Amino acid sequence: MNSIERFYATIERRPVDRPACWMGDPTPGEAEKLVKFYGVKDVSELKKVCGDDFYAVEIPYHSETCNAIFAAFDWYMGGSDVDVEHRTLTARGCFADCEDVEDAEALNFPWPDPENYIDPELCRKLVDEAPDDKVVLGMLWGAHFQDTCAAFGMETALMNMIAEPELYHYVDDHVVDFYCRALRIFLEATKGKVHAILIGDDMGSQRALMISPAQVAEFVTPGAKKLIDIAHSYGVKVIYHSCGSIFEAIPSIIESGADAIHPIQAKAANMEPWRLKENFGDKVSFCGGVDTQELLPHGTPEDVRDKVRELRDIFPTGLIISPSHEALQIDVPAENVKALFDAVAELN
Amino acid sequence: MALLDQISERLQAGKAKEVVALVQQAIDEGIAAEKILNEGLLAGMNIIGEKFKNNEIYVPEVLVAARAMSKGSALLKPLLADAGATATGKVCIGTIEGDLHDIGKNLVIMMMEGKGLEVIDLGTDVTPDNFVETAVKENCNIIACSALLTTTMNTMAEVVNKAKEAGIRDKVKIMIGGAPVTEEFCNNIGADAYTPDATSAAEAAVEFCK
Repeated sequence: MNSIERFYATIERRPVDRPACWMGDPTPGEAEKLVKFYGVKDVSELKKVCGDDFYAVEIPYHSETCNAIFAAFDWYMGGSDVDVEHRTLTARGCFADCEDVEDAEALNFPWPDPENYIDPELCRKLVDEAPDDKVVLGMLWGAHFQDTCAAFGMETALMNMIAEPELYHYVDDHVVDFYCRALRIFLEATKGKVHAILIGDDMGSQRALMISPAQVAEFVTPGAKKLIDIAHSYGVKVIYHSCGSIFEAIPSIIESGADAIHPIQAKAANMEPWRLKENFGDKVSFCGGVDTQELLPHGTPEDVRDKVRELRDIFPTGLIISPSHEALQIDVPAENVKALFDAVAELN
Repeated sequence: MALLDQISERLQAGKAKEVVALVQQAIDEGIAAEKILNEGLLAGMNIIGEKFKNNEIYVPEVLVAARAMSKGSALLKPLLADAGATATGKVCIGTIEGDLHDIGKNLVIMMMEGKGLEVIDLGTDVTPDNFVETAVKENCNIIACSALLTTTMNTMAEVVNKAKEAGIRDKVKIMIGGAPVTEEFCNNIGADAYTPDATSAAEAAVEFCK
């Protein structure tokens, strides 16, 4: 099987020669370490030699205020007292003081038009650079829940879910619309060349969902469903990401049509791979599962190999093996990353 | 329903305006501010904390309750000050140097305030020196540190060391928490308590301040 065949077999839960595997997106320091360890010239060569089945492409986005689609919205309109380096989702966004939809409309927020900032030609060029035999993964993120949290300031946004749901929806609908249009531009430009996209929103803490399953179904997965429907209309699979303990949200994510759920934060409550397989293994595939909180930074290569073999036993198919957080941190020894790929490469 | 029970119940429902009106009514009826605080507002937050710990409610419900508590207690503050009432303890809290994740830390603050503690929020990316200097200057009972990243949690050991160097280690308890943090890690660095959730953190803090 090549990477693409292996990916489709995994997503459709058919037998595979070995599991599909994705390294994720190591932080710059970790990437540099891995490049040196493998003796290659750059990350793209690293991914070829290590056995990664995926080639990720960030959807190119260049506006007056940013160069990344995940930062497309200027929620602070230059008015934040928190500098960019220290800004978090809880910082006050420009919608913080709005009490109703009328207030929100009166702000005249400059909703960005993706047509102006996504160049279809550049989308094609970036996707054409992918090796022919790798799974091309479009990184949309489309984190409309997180964006809406930032628009108000997270705490205000979450309170608005209860106290002013119409106001919350007003902002969220605009954000979802933006990502839907951005996705169409990308998929139209690269028709037939992208195999999957990654979207998602962090909804879980270490011990539970941050919002209730009912709030997930009302405020988060309807937006995801719109993006998933667009992807599916182009024949593109969807990997849905949420960090944390999201067991209770999984039925809603499945309902929205996601093909795989990422990253299985292995040490979060109720996220043990066996539990996911037992409860959802016949309804959706998964991606992730190799713990990054303890095992990858502090375990031995043998521990990592054992974990990969255990995951393969639980999921003979239906699991893309990958770190449980895509941004591998600099404290993960290169030997452990190699051990992960070595154990994946053992043929069935 | 008795007035103080009503305050607790409307607080749990996150109805800030109703809580403010009920607190005002209680003041007008001559109920002591400390009694309104303890048996109305803090009683309500205790139930919220317990339900959150048991995953019966989620963050939005905690936030609206905490907002109601904050608005209700604002009416009581001047009366409590006049009566010479003091907080049950003082905590300085922050996300450790190099780390900007503050959702969990902010929940801990709400739960601690819901237990009647005074909390100084140092924000994110807080250096060990800043924790210790604040604890000395503000005479804190507790330093509380949060981390989400495996790469930043080790800096918590520095907080313990700096507290020793400053000669306050026997006076100040050091609490730690965050996704990758464990009891074992807490023991290894010589901190006083690891708690897995915001409610348990507030409960442990109250115990330390007794």
